Amino acid sequence: MSKITRRNFMKFAAASGAVLAASRGFESDALAGTIKTQTGKDFSPKTGMERKAIPSACWQCVSRDSMIGFVEDGRLVKLEGHPKSIRGAGHICARGQGGVTSVYDPDRILHPMMRTGPRGSGEWKRISWDEAISELTGRIKKLRDAGTPEKFLFHYGRMKASSGALIGGMIKATGTGSIGNHTGVCESAKWTAQEMTWGGHFDNWDIDHTKYMLIMGSNILETHTNHMSVAHRIMHAKVDRGVPMKTFDVRMSNTAAKSDEWIPIKQGTDMAVILAMTNVVLNKGLYKGAGEEFLKFCKCTEKFDDSTPNKIAALKKHYAEYTPAWASKISGVPASKIEQIATEFATTKPAVLIAYRGAVTNYNGCDCERARQVLSSLTGNVDAPGTNCKAVGAGWKSAKIPKTKTTKVKDIFDGAPKGQPESYPFPTHHASHQVLDRIKAKGPGTFDLALWYCYTPAFANGNHAGNIEILKDEKLLPFVVSSDTSYGDSTHYADMILPDATYLERFDWEDMVDPTQTGEYYIRQALVKPLGEARDFGDVMIEVCNRLGIETDYKTKEEYVQQSVDMTPGVKEAGGWEYMKKEGVWNGGKTHYFSYKEVILDPKKQVCKVGGSIYEDLKDPEAICAYFGDDVLYDQKAGVWWHWKASKAKSADEAQEKGYYGTKSAYKGYVATKLGDIAYKGFAPDKINKSGLMELWSQPLVDAGYNALPEWHPAPNQKNMGPDDMHLTTYKVCVQTHSRTQNNKWLTEIYPNNHAWINPKDATTRGIKDGDKIMVKSSIGEMESFAHVTENAQPGHIHISHHMGHWAYGRYASGKRSPVGVDDADDKNIHWTWHGSHPNQVIPNRGDRLSGFQRWNDTVVQVTKA
Amino acid sequence: MTVQVVTVYFKTEYTRKGVSMSKQKDGSRRELLKAAGAVALGLAATRALPTTKASAEEGVPRWAFIVDLRKCVGCRTCTVSCKSEFNVPLGRWRAVIKTVDWGTYPTNRRAFVPRLCNHCAGETGTEGQKIDVPPCVEKCPEAKSGTRAKFNGERYRTGATYKRPDGMILFDNSLCIGCYKCIKACPYGVRYIDPQVKLDKPNREAEFGIGKCTFCDHRVAQGIEPSCVQACPHGTRTFGDMNDPNSKVSKLIKEFNLDKNRDKTTLLAQEKTKPHVFYIDPEGILSRYKFDHKDQKKKAAEYRDRIV
Repeated sequence: MSKITRRNFMKFAAASGAVLAASRGFESDALAGTIKTQTGKDFSPKTGMERKAIPSACWQCVSRDSMIGFVEDGRLVKLEGHPKSIRGAGHICARGQGGVTSVYDPDRILHPMMRTGPRGSGEWKRISWDEAISELTGRIKKLRDAGTPEKFLFHYGRMKASSGALIGGMIKATGTGSIGNHTGVCESAKWTAQEMTWGGHFDNWDIDHTKYMLIMGSNILETHTNHMSVAHRIMHAKVDRGVPMKTFDVRMSNTAAKSDEWIPIKQGTDMAVILAMTNVVLNKGLYKGAGEEFLKFCKCTEKFDDSTPNKIAALKKHYAEYTPAWASKISGVPASKIEQIATEFATTKPAVLIAYRGAVTNYNGCDCERARQVLSSLTGNVDAPGTNCKAVGAGWKSAKIPKTKTTKVKDIFDGAPKGQPESYPFPTHHASHQVLDRIKAKGPGTFDLALWYCYTPAFANGNHAGNIEILKDEKLLPFVVSSDTSYGDSTHYADMILPDATYLERFDWEDMVDPTQTGEYYIRQALVKPLGEARDFGDVMIEVCNRLGIETDYKTKEEYVQQSVDMTPGVKEAGGWEYMKKEGVWNGGKTHYFSYKEVILDPKKQVCKVGGSIYEDLKDPEAICAYFGDDVLYDQKAGVWWHWKASKAKSADEAQEKGYYGTKSAYKGYVATKLGDIAYKGFAPDKINKSGLMELWSQPLVDAGYNALPEWHPAPNQKNMGPDDMHLTTYKVCVQTHSRTQNNKWLTEIYPNNHAWINPKDATTRGIKDGDKIMVKSSIGEMESFAHVTENAQPGHIHISHHMGHWAYGRYASGKRSPVGVDDADDKNIHWTWHGSHPNQVIPNRGDRLSGFQRWNDTVVQVTKA
Repeated sequence: MTVQVVTVYFKTEYTRKGVSMSKQKDGSRRELLKAAGAVALGLAATRALPTTKASAEEGVPRWAFIVDLRKCVGCRTCTVSCKSEFNVPLGRWRAVIKTVDWGTYPTNRRAFVPRLCNHCAGETGTEGQKIDVPPCVEKCPEAKSGTRAKFNGERYRTGATYKRPDGMILFDNSLCIGCYKCIKACPYGVRYIDPQVKLDKPNREAEFGIGKCTFCDHRVAQGIEPSCVQACPHGTRTFGDMNDPNSKVSKLIKEFNLDKNRDKTTLLAQEKTKPHVFYIDPEGILSRYKFDHKDQKKKAAEYRDRIV
């Protein structure tokens, strides 16, 4: 045996390096000196043999990070971040690492099942896939034949990218448009506000180029819609580049803990502080420079082409009442602190303002995000490097999906009908958390068939007891089918269960937002074959449609994904499906900033993106409509050219008369916005009729009878709070997703239950000691919990995470084996007996005043020692 | 010179059942050498290798692990990655994160302290203590019951719990008798009884073997960083050879004065175990992190990962 000295190490290293580098280029930090180690590999600690590496994508949460799966003897054993991903840069989070146990969950459903006992009894019989698909197809066919396809309700919890395109498409192909989503419990208030202001939804924070990070109501280091790919950038910015990080939060989250400053803020008052910071910016003239420059692209008054001084004057007038002293009384944040942070934010450029769930889960949710847009705009921190940018993701082409005209049941998905309590003017992402309540209100006969995909309506929405009561009612829901991987709190009340493949056993193209503003193309591929008889629900829906006589060019979702990948420009040239299966990711795009500055027509510079010769100027905008195409009108009020035939207008005359703002779905025909002598693409609209300007002043809101600029409205249920009343706020922890990871044993053993955080001051006045059993009571019911007395809780608040307290979701989550549960090597090692208590027991389903978004953090409770 | 190459640390021996890595790899290694010898010579010639110890002259690395407390956000990616790498049973951990809270609202603070086996060197010449071994090895009655071995020229002997010349504190359950003295001896409580490993020695005292962090020796042997180092999204963890002045760990040790300031950069420095897990801790978080390491139950209970 030759002696290995360090000198020899070098030789071996160089030798193997030269060979390995030629085949794969995954390199990372050094073990020693200039030597780069290889990543994207793993070896068995038992045998020393290399584990098979397969690139894929996570799906534990909606962030969907690229990763490598490692397989040993046909068994998935390990997951790591994909080193070539520009989003994750080789990292996934704890939840991602814990994904292995989703496949081998001992409470998984591995065969189709039909209920035998009463609904909710947990009595089932195994059936064949043929029986299951015949049952589902037969029921859909019956509704189609009767001309009532909309009586088939489809409701999904998480369905994205190719799964969304294919499964959503197949569901619509059956003729139903009665489709519920989950955005109403996620962040829809934020999306609606973005649609009102800058068009399409989703912002990205360009952390890599920012010089200041202000965080409001976002625990981004623990959990987030785009968690890991943003989180690792934040910590590198903070520690390696010294970028200041300031966080407003109702409690000491891990994000607050790692910030340079944690500024406690009363529940639901982020908007008041944002309004006051804007007041400071206006009064101190901190909008000058970059802010003024960006204001050219903003609508701040009724006139789209108002002068900048007029815009500033209008904003100053509106914001005059929102002083730091005013906000201090509401939020509990000292006025001097508001001034300090406002000044830092406005003068340290570029800056990001990350406002998320905590800021919008309240009565003012939508307007809070609009107020955030005003502050970002006034400081010039929009869509430029280092600021809040319009998000960029992959632009996959989809293989052909059969289309048909759909019909939907009305007054189900968007809250109550107009004029009733819980009706909303702009439910652009729906209020699907109220679907069960709406079904109850409409009564029997609304739906004949309900199908849930990756969705747990009983658990994920407010008012558990109310939800269960409705689910048990066979008159309201005659037949319920649930496609899921594991037995759960809602499948427990289904009539038929279709065992789904886990995300580690299926194929997808993926497109989650890229923090580098480039747009990463990546795929998910099966790391192992589905266990038992589990089948990807995409495959099931293809078969259902085929049996209904709806033809498809593919027989499996894998084929659909392959066809889509092979027709997507860029990826196709790189090698298409074979390349993607080998590499997992493709990054060939350009970075995107200043998207709104795209010029459609500029006579002076002879730019014309609409064909034909250049018109001499834009003095007569109506005269140049023809340049943009047939049936294009110019709207003087909005300064918008639009194609009226894409809207719901019946004639050109009607479109002319009602105008762009007044015509339903006019945004669908949006072409360009006039700004001075140039026609810009601008911030193109989506779902709401707006111009291509950043509309801080909103005509659609005025037309609906609401405030044009963001306006503070105290939550009605909090106006008369007594000294014993407390704010209940919910939150997420770093090792759990909302409702789908609690039977992953490695995650749940770290967080097996959810103690209620309470400040020592509040605990003392109530005679509560750390660990005591407590009762939390709201207007709709009460729940038990155990107190965690901590300085990390804010006085006047009780903080309870919303992961735990399952009643039927497996042994690790609920302490109960599923009806099909099998033994697990760790059964005897379970070291917790309390499985938590879910705050949704006391949180009602109700929405933000504009978008209908669920007000998770608005509940007033009384807390007593049990 | 910034030649980027891939390290492959071949093991000279592999003590676990029936596997001899070095023999399997030997042939291919020679072929690789032939294939790119010129590159290797070029690199080797540019590297100075100053040594401070005899073993370093032979080129034996001394592994060190650096935890940057400024970067840890308590996300538990390391904890779960380690669980997965080794399929660690519930209730046992090889790596954990501890949360440290202090102060009163609203000026209270919260920080995180990642913990793992310290792969202690043991202090040289302390009275009553064997030279250069940590308490776990010292107390193990089977510490030398394994085979004679050489690591890069340096002789050592394997055992149920033993120290390798590169500083790794490893274990071999095929030699373990289940006396659990190592568990009691370790002041950090990082060792656990592994209910998945049944002992088969005829004279054993208990049914199950032990487990703990191995610095992922099986990955390091292949030039791959330990699982938790790869997993950490924030660059909190750095692993490498402190005998190599050009390694990242050496640079960090120098920059933050970690080796000479052990009272403030290692856990339980007063126990004189000489840990090789160092903490970059400009805020003095480590001094606020306290646990009763003399009490067996409390020590073990502390080495659990639990979020409240």
